[in-house]
This record gives sequence, C-alpha cells and structure tokens, in this order.
Amino acid sequence: MIIVDGMDRSLNRSMVFPYMLANAVCFLIFGLTNPSLHADDSTIDTVDSTFRQGQMIYRRQCASCHGERGEGVEGSFEKPLVGDDSIGQLRDRIVDTMPEDDPESCVGGDAQAVAAYIHAAFYSEAARLRNRPPRRRLTHLTSRQLRQSLTDLYAHFSKVVTPTKERGLLGQYFDSSNFGQPEKKFERIDDRLDFDWQHEGPGEGITPEDFGVRWRGGLKVEETGRYQIVIRSTCAFACDLGAADRVFVDNLVQSGDKTEFRRPIVLTAGRVVPIRIKLLQRKRKTEQPPATISLSWIPPHGVEQVIPRRHLLPIDAPATFSLQARLPPDDRSYGYDRGLAIDRQWDDSTTAAALEFAGVCVEELWPRYRQRHKEKPPEQVIRQFLGGLAKVAFRGEVEKDLLDFYVEDQLDATEDHAESIVRSVLAILKSPRFLYPDLDEGQTDSRLAANRLALTLYDSLPADRWLIERIDQGQLQTEAEVRDVAQQMLDDYRTHAKTRQLLYEWLNLSQFEEIIKDPEVYPEFDARLVADLKASLDLFLDDVTWSADSDFRQLLLASWSYVTPRMAEFMGPQWQIDGQQANTFVRTAEGALPRMGLMSHPYLMSRLAYQDSTSPIHRGVFLMRYVLGRTLRPPQEAFTPLSPELHPDLTTRQRVILQTSSQSCQVCHQKINGLGFTLEQFDGVGRYREFEEGKPIDATGGYTDRSGAAFKFQNASELAVFLAKSEDTQKAFVNRVFQYFVKQPIAAYGVDQLDRLTTAFRENNFSIQQLLVEVAVIAAQPSVRSAEES
Amino acid sequence: MARYTTRRDFLRQAGVGTVAGNLAMGLPSLVRGQASSDPVRRQRLIFVFSPNGVIPDHFWPSTLGYEFELKRILQPLAKLRDRTLTLHGVCNKIKGDGDGHMRGIGCLLTGIELYPGDIQGGSDTPAGWSQGISIDQYIKNALQANPATQTRFGSLEFGVMVPERADTWTRLAYAGPNQPVAPIDNPYQMFEKLYGQAKNRAMLASVLDGISADVRRLEDIISREDRHVLHEHLAMVRTVETDLQSQLAAKPKDVGHAVPTLAPNVEEENDNMPQITKMQADLLVNSMVADFARVATFQITNSVGQPRMKWLGIEEGHHALSHEPDSNEEAYEKLIKINTWYCEQVAYLANRLAQTPDPTGWGSLLDHTTIVWTNELGKGNSHTRNNIPFVLVGDGLGWRMGQALDFENVPHNRLLMSLSEAMGHPVKSFGNPDFCGDGGLTGLA
Repeated sequence: MIIVDGMDRSLNRSMVFPYMLANAVCFLIFGLTNPSLHADDSTIDTVDSTFRQGQMIYRRQCASCHGERGEGVEGSFEKPLVGDDSIGQLRDRIVDTMPEDDPESCVGGDAQAVAAYIHAAFYSEAARLRNRPPRRRLTHLTSRQLRQSLTDLYAHFSKVVTPTKERGLLGQYFDSSNFGQPEKKFERIDDRLDFDWQHEGPGEGITPEDFGVRWRGGLKVEETGRYQIVIRSTCAFACDLGAADRVFVDNLVQSGDKTEFRRPIVLTAGRVVPIRIKLLQRKRKTEQPPATISLSWIPPHGVEQVIPRRHLLPIDAPATFSLQARLPPDDRSYGYDRGLAIDRQWDDSTTAAALEFAGVCVEELWPRYRQRHKEKPPEQVIRQFLGGLAKVAFRGEVEKDLLDFYVEDQLDATEDHAESIVRSVLAILKSPRFLYPDLDEGQTDSRLAANRLALTLYDSLPADRWLIERIDQGQLQTEAEVRDVAQQMLDDYRTHAKTRQLLYEWLNLSQFEEIIKDPEVYPEFDARLVADLKASLDLFLDDVTWSADSDFRQLLLASWSYVTPRMAEFMGPQWQIDGQQANTFVRTAEGALPRMGLMSHPYLMSRLAYQDSTSPIHRGVFLMRYVLGRTLRPPQEAFTPLSPELHPDLTTRQRVILQTSSQSCQVCHQKINGLGFTLEQFDGVGRYREFEEGKPIDATGGYTDRSGAAFKFQNASELAVFLAKSEDTQKAFVNRVFQYFVKQPIAAYGVDQLDRLTTAFRENNFSIQQLLVEVAVIAAQPSVRSAEES
Repeated sequence: MARYTTRRDFLRQAGVGTVAGNLAMGLPSLVRGQASSDPVRRQRLIFVFSPNGVIPDHFWPSTLGYEFELKRILQPLAKLRDRTLTLHGVCNKIKGDGDGHMRGIGCLLTGIELYPGDIQGGSDTPAGWSQGISIDQYIKNALQANPATQTRFGSLEFGVMVPERADTWTRLAYAGPNQPVAPIDNPYQMFEKLYGQAKNRAMLASVLDGISADVRRLEDIISREDRHVLHEHLAMVRTVETDLQSQLAAKPKDVGHAVPTLAPNVEEENDNMPQITKMQADLLVNSMVADFARVATFQITNSVGQPRMKWLGIEEGHHALSHEPDSNEEAYEKLIKINTWYCEQVAYLANRLAQTPDPTGWGSLLDHTTIVWTNELGKGNSHTRNNIPFVLVGDGLGWRMGQALDFENVPHNRLLMSLSEAMGHPVKSFGNPDFCGDGGLTGLA
C-alpha cells in the first residue's frame, strides 16, 4: 500500500477549480508559463534572477516531458514532479540524469537554478501548500465513527464505563444450584475463567454435587471486529453479554456431551461489554460429569485463547450496544480513513445500521425508559424519549420544526409505539444532521467545541453526562476550558482505543496481514506465537503511551519489552524471566534486551521480512515512509528478490546491493537501503543475531534528512537514537496523529500548523498524551472553522 | 384418498393428464408419488401442539370408521368432520431419561430418546435435549434440498405464550441432536421475520422525502464548496427513493398477497392469549399463501403449560388442573373446556385454510395442507404416552379423511414415517429404529 501525505493526493482531486481561476489571472499578469504559481506579493519578491534562469531552462529542457508546471505529460513522464528532496538532492539528480537524452546539457549553475525553481514553484511541500492550501472538507462519519456514535447514543440512555485498574471477574460461589442468599459461601475475583473442578467442587463449604457460581464483570475490548466467544462447560450455564438481560448463550439444560458453545459477535473497541455467567452443577440421580468451565475467545484474525485477565474487569459494567451490521471500508485515498465516499453501498450500510439500532431501541431502550417514567402518560414519555435521542444524535438542541418531522410525523403515522420508534429512529439516523458531524451550525460555542472533542478523541459524539453538563453550563468557551476537558477525555477507554489504532496506522499495521514463516527456517513460529508477539506489542504501546511521561522517544529507545514464556523460549535466553507463568505477560527489566524500542520489536520485524529471510528493503521503505514521513515513489516495475540459493556466498545485504545497484534503482534505494541495513541484526523473526550463515552482520547505514544533512549509523541502536532526535520522525508522527484524529489535513488549520504543533510537542518533552490534547484543542477551536470558511 | 368431488377434480388437483390419469388410477401409490413431486401442487404440513393431555372420554370417538362421531372436545371441528381423521392407539414408546412430560414433548416429533442431562423433572431420571431431528425439520430439509419444493424459510416455528426459557419442556422441534429450535411466540417478531424487509423498505421510503426536505434546508448554512457534498448525498437519497418506490409497487406480485396488518401494542400476557393465538394463526395462513414455507409447527404454550384461561371462567393454571383425579368433577369439566378451546384454535386455523384459495389456483389451502394436532400426553393425570392425541385435518397428505381409526398400540415412530412418506420422502426408519420395524402405518392412504 502506498501512503502519500495529504498534499500529494489532494493535487489530483476535484477541489482544484477555484485555484485554477486564480492561477489563470497570475499567468496573465506575469506571463509565467507555470500557471500553478500563486499570485501574491511574496512570490514576486522571490522571483530573483536564479529563479528566472531556472524557469527558462525548465521551459526549454524539461517541460516537454514533465509538463509546464511539473504535472507530468502523458506518454513521457506521467507522474507529477512532487517530493521532499532538498534543492541540493534535486540538483545532484539533475546533474546525473537530466535531461534523459543528454545529461551533460544541464549541469553546474544551470542544474542549481532549475532545482531551485522546481523546488519553489511546485515540487516542495511548501510550494504545494502555497499553490493549493488544503481546506477542511465536509465529510460524513467514517465507519468507525458511525459505530462509535451509535454505541454512545445507546450509552446516553445507559452509562459509560470509567477506566479502572482492577482486573478479573467477580465470582460468587453458592452451596446450591438455587443461588439462595444463605447458601452463598464466598466471593472472589477470578483472574480468568478456566476451571476444572473434577468432582471436588470449587472450594471450601461447597457441596461438589450441587452448587452454583455467578460471575459478573466486563469484557474490555481494544479492537473492533468479529470475535468468536467460546464457552466450554460440562455443567448447565447461561451467559448474558452486552446487557444484563441480553441472552448470549442459554445452556440451562445440560444435555449429553454438548459442552462447547461458540457464538460470533462484533465487538467495538474502547468499550467494556458486560458479561454475566451463571453456572449450575445440579444434583442428579444419574452419574454426574465433572464440573468444568472455560471462557475463551478468538479475537479478529487471532487465535483461540482463554480470555486473558487484562481484558476482564470485575465491575458492574453498564449495558452497551455494538453494531453488528457490516460497514464498507472508508476512502483512504489521502492515506487515512475519511468519510468521502457517497455511494449506494455506504448508503445501504447506514440504513442497515439505523434499523439495527432502531431494533435495540424497541427491545431495550424504550421499555427501560418507559419503566423509569411510568408515572407520566405514555404519549408524553415517547416524545421525550425520541426528542432526547434526536438531541444526542444531532449533537445539540433540535428546533421545534425539525422535531415535527423527525418525531411528530412518525408518531402520527402509526398507532403502534414500536413502529413509530423505528420510523423516528430511522429518520434521525439517516439524516445528514447525524451522518455529517459538521452540520451543527447554530449550536452554542460550548456545544460546538464538545462535538469536535468527542469526534476527535472518541470518534463519537458527546453522550457522557459530565460532558453534557459542561455543555449545558457553557463551560467550553475558552481555550483553557477546552484543553481542560480534552485532558479529562484522555483517561477513557475510547481514547485509548483510538490511540492504539493511531499507533497501528503509524506503524503501518492497521491492515491485517497474516505472518507466515517457512517452518524449516523458523520452526515453532506459529499462530500462537504471533498472537503473543502482537499482544506484547500492544502492551508495550499502551505502557509507553499511558505512563506518566508518555514519552514518544521511549517508543524508539526502550530496551525492555513484554514477554510470555512461549515468546522467551522462541526469542532466546535474554528474554527469559524466572518463574513466569504460562500465558501471562511480564515486563522485562530495563536494558535486558539487545534491542532498541519498537523498530526491532519481533512483531514488526517479522512482518517486515520474507518467509525465510529478512528484507532490508521492506524495513527501509517502512522507516522512510512511516517513521520519517518521507515520500517514495513506487518502483517502476515489479522485481522478484534475488534468491539466496542462487547466491549462496552473499549475505542478504550483499544481495540487496547487487539487485539495486543500477542508477535508476539508486534514485530511491540509496535512501531505502541505508535505513533497512541497520536492522540486519534482527533476523526474519526479530531475533538478535551477529552472524548470517557464518558471516558477520554489517549493520551500518545512513540517512539524509529533508534539509539535506547526512547521518551515518553503525547499527540499529544508533539509528534508534537518531530517530528519536530527528525532526523528520517527530513531524511525521505529529502529522499522522493529526490526520488520524481529526481526519482533515493539518495545513487546513494553518499552513504552519504542523511546524507549530511539532514545536509544542518538543517543548512538552514529546508527551504523546499532551500532543493528543493539543490536536483536540486545535480541532475544537471555532475560530479555525470560521477563518477557513471566510 | 383425498376428498375430491369428482374424478376430474382429482386429476386436475393431482396434476396428471387424462391419459396418464387413466393409467395411474389403477396404481394409487404412483398417483400419490406423482402428486407430491408435481411442482404445481404445494403440499403442506402443520403440527399444532397443545399440552397436558386430554380427557379421553370426551375426546376420542366411540365409533370407529366413517360413521364416527365428534365428542365434546372435538365439536369445534363439526363443519370439517369429513376432512378430519382421528388416530387412536398410536403410542409414544420412547423410554430412557426424562420425566413423562419431557419425553412427551421431546420425543413427540423426534421419536428418539433424550440425552442424559441435568434437568430433573417431577419423577424419573434427569435428561437433556433430544438425541435426534424432529420430523418437521427432517421434511423441511428434504423439501429444501429440492429446487421444486424449496421455499424462502422451508419451515416456520410459531408459538403462543411459550415461556422465556429454553428447556426440554418448551421445545418441540429439533434441527438435529441437541439442537432445539425455539418457536417464535411473539406475533410482531414473527411479522418482522416474514415481512420485516418489506416493512423496513416501506418505512424508509416514507421518511426519505422528509429527509430530502431537511437536506435542502441545510444547504443554506454550509459553505459553497461543501454544498456539492450535500448535492451528492441528495442525489443518492433520490436514487434510493426511486428504487424503493418501484420495489414497493412490485411488492403485491412478489408476496402473492397484501402484507397483513397486526393489531398494535398487544402485550404477551396471559389474558391476551386468545388474541395472540389468532394473530399467529393468521400469520401462519398468510405465510402459506406467500409460500414462505410448507412445513410449520404451531406450539400453543408448552409441555406443563400453565395458561389461566380466565376468558373461559377458569382461574387455575392448566397444568395444575391436569393433575387432578378424574373424580374431581369441577376440574374434569374445566379440562374439557380447556381442551375444547384448543380444538377451537385448530378449527379456526383449518377454517381459515379452507376459506383461502390456494395461490396456485387449485382449490383452497386446506386441500393441500394437513394439520396434525397433537399433545405430549395421552391423559394429564396419568402422564401416559399411550394413545397420544393425533387429530388430522385437511387433505395435504392425500389420506382418507372423515374417519376414526384405532391402531391399537403402535409406536408413534411409524406415524412419523408415514408423514414423511406422504410428503414425498419415504424413510426406512425415523428416530429410534427399534420402533420402526414394521414400517409406516397402513390404511391411511
């Protein structure tokens, strides 16, 4: 997949129009052949003699292949001349290779002038921003946002969970399968549900032949997707999931050898799903099977495991809603999900989602609401219910004439309450007022700010009581107030989940790819190990992000990790921890590992590798594009990597050098290889090594940054230190955070916003949490909106 | 043989031409085989369940054969007497785990034992679910496997006032071993299953206009550049609207009948049982017209069901009454009334089917549908599973109706086999093979 930053792609899109007009004017005034140059006074000042000289040479020698304004020419060089090389790098390339038919004809001062002209006129990011400042666009909810918004719409009538440190499920043990209070023997927190009590019973004072256990708590979901919940028990049991009375598995009849129950369900990230399990070992005349129960799941793309302790919360989790309808993927043409596609598939999916939500309104929300307000006449209560729902869904006060359509007309259409609720909910959730979160004009400043904060940090809408109170009391007017609320919103599972997803985007891990290795080269590298590696990465990311310092540099520099015995066994002796229990994660001590931060984490390293060897190219491209945020063109044709068998004498590094040595390859590979080689100390599954096939590893490499400064590294460790200090890395991260959280290009909030935000990031000691707050504050400022609109 | 007024009628309904008919008349089994494989004729089978046994003296005809009389409980079927068949002497002989009620309902349509389990009934050993598929689901699978007899749902499982509890007493149908099928006892939920999509489309169509009007208002408040997004959105809404309109216009032809309307806001409460039963029966008739399914179960309450039929002046629960000895005259009388009420429901369904033309144009629905009304017990206070009440109404199976038969103690597995055969799928055995040795029942067709 190709990720180009927002600017690149915006060149190709439809909003070019008004600027084309402006450019046509500038063309007339200055007689420039490059119509993309913007007409303003500062441009005139920069049009010095070098610029003019470069412009003339470009028109004479380059434009026939590259187009008058670098847009490309069909049949010769079709791609636009855009990128992030410095003027010096451009000059060197021109000297070496341009024009293609006669490279000698443009060298020295001429090459320098052309490079300077191209850079200033259209090539560089700054030029592109100047030529066509990106704009905030009206977008609809992305799939994630739609899912989260519906969940919060439900939560508005229920409650949102506040984070807790406690883990496990609360178990109440009864000396009877009738669960009478006098028979309750003890309560305890169970780390996980995986019991085999044989014929012994679960504990003291409990008759093994006749007992009952009730567990309750919440499932902490960190990733949205289709899960399979697997409950195995030789006893009768019932499981409610999602709400106290929402039956998920009913096995109150223990029958024959039916002991395994699998149910698929879509769960939503950042949510705690209430779970209750009631187990009954009933006394019987016939032979009683031993008492066992386990609660497992298969997470999206994962392997079956007993649900780990870290995903269980011993709390009374409030009822929650998780949309089961499938939603189409969002437009990613800007390199991140945006609600741009308006097509039938999307429209149908919003209908399916609306109907599903209407169903849960009829089944759960309305009966509960009516019960709570039973002293009032039902006709009044139903108006109150639907009016309240419209207010949350439309993110603010709803005028009376809107309620006439969205509520009154639907009540008038039928006498049946259930049907009128479905009609009204369908109308509300199909309305652009719900689907396009920016259509909230006319609401109070506090409301507007809260709407944007919820969308930015939760991918959702304001539904929490405390936040609604702030809105109602007008306490989100000043920047300080907004910052204060954003800060509060950080400590929330929704924000945690979105941040995790952001880090996955940053690491290019968001699109699932199965990691498979050649079992002959990497025996024991199986799906279970991959699941451990991924969980280890998740724990590491959470640990760094939500620690007090929240220091971004730790992501790159940390010399510790999370490890299971299975991982340690596979990774080698440095990863071993004494006395560790199977299937549990433990954090290794600082400095315990011959590795540096994320870049050498085995999950990432094994993904960025071939089945049987490393791939310095994949690793280099990853570092260049994702970590350093640089632009790389895709190769002009597809290549198959040289086979190790055909070159038994060469190391991987040597094979890569051999294959990419031609001048046309080197344009990009001189940047890629130097980065990728530094990770050669980590084999195809991320294990540390000093030799490859008996030859010592050469992990030296280098990088030239945007400003043209060159750096050399001896190994991954030096690379990590460099990355942590590099402005390119920081900027790329800040840009990614902004795009992912706000879903608009950062330059739409000011041409220098990225620089300002990066500076603030640095001044805040690279606190990720603080960065999230600043991003949310920028997104929430109404002044930015009006400025853009004017 | 089914009830046809003339030979020509028979041939027309059986779908055989005159020449073939002349040949076939000498071979009755061939005719039946032809009828069931004929794609034009829609053969249907509906099981109606009511619980807790009957009062045999007021249920079973005293006279056998075509001269049989309808006793008090069966009086509601008077108008349909000639299309009714009573089968005495058919016994549920399945033993094993589970109490009488559990085996009564759990083995009724499955003909096989229950698994060992932990559900303890009033007596006997505890048990779990049935070890096999039920006959309705078996026939459904067979019909669904053949494109000529395939329908949207294959089978429908209706219920009335079935408790919110999945256990051996509340499940009649089984999709396979340990796979009980839950009946849908809420008419609105059944309606949703049958017509939900059409209804949703209609609702969507009716709100889209208002949404479009609102979108146009929104245009004024957003910037010029963003307006095209709303225009695109509006165009999309219009496309959907147009599609829906044409779909809705085409609807009556597709469903074959108008979508029924249900009385609003009927809660699932004891006192609403008559109304719910009627709503469900109407939906069942409608779904047969629509050819949504050709097999159905209609489970009124459950084994040990406790409805309190206050509308008959009876305050006690049915199951409690059914345990009273015959000497309790008051209870005895009430039980007769309760059973008569159940028979009225069967009669209502049968009459609706008789009054509704078959959508293929051949006669009425009842000409091609057989109702099998049954019960988990022969008699409530003895819990016997001998002489299980089997009362058949209608001509779907092509059996000789208008008579009372006594099979004098045959396993009910043989009746289940006969049902399958009559629906076009003969079986060597059904349920526990030990009870199938003598094959299907003779003398029915």
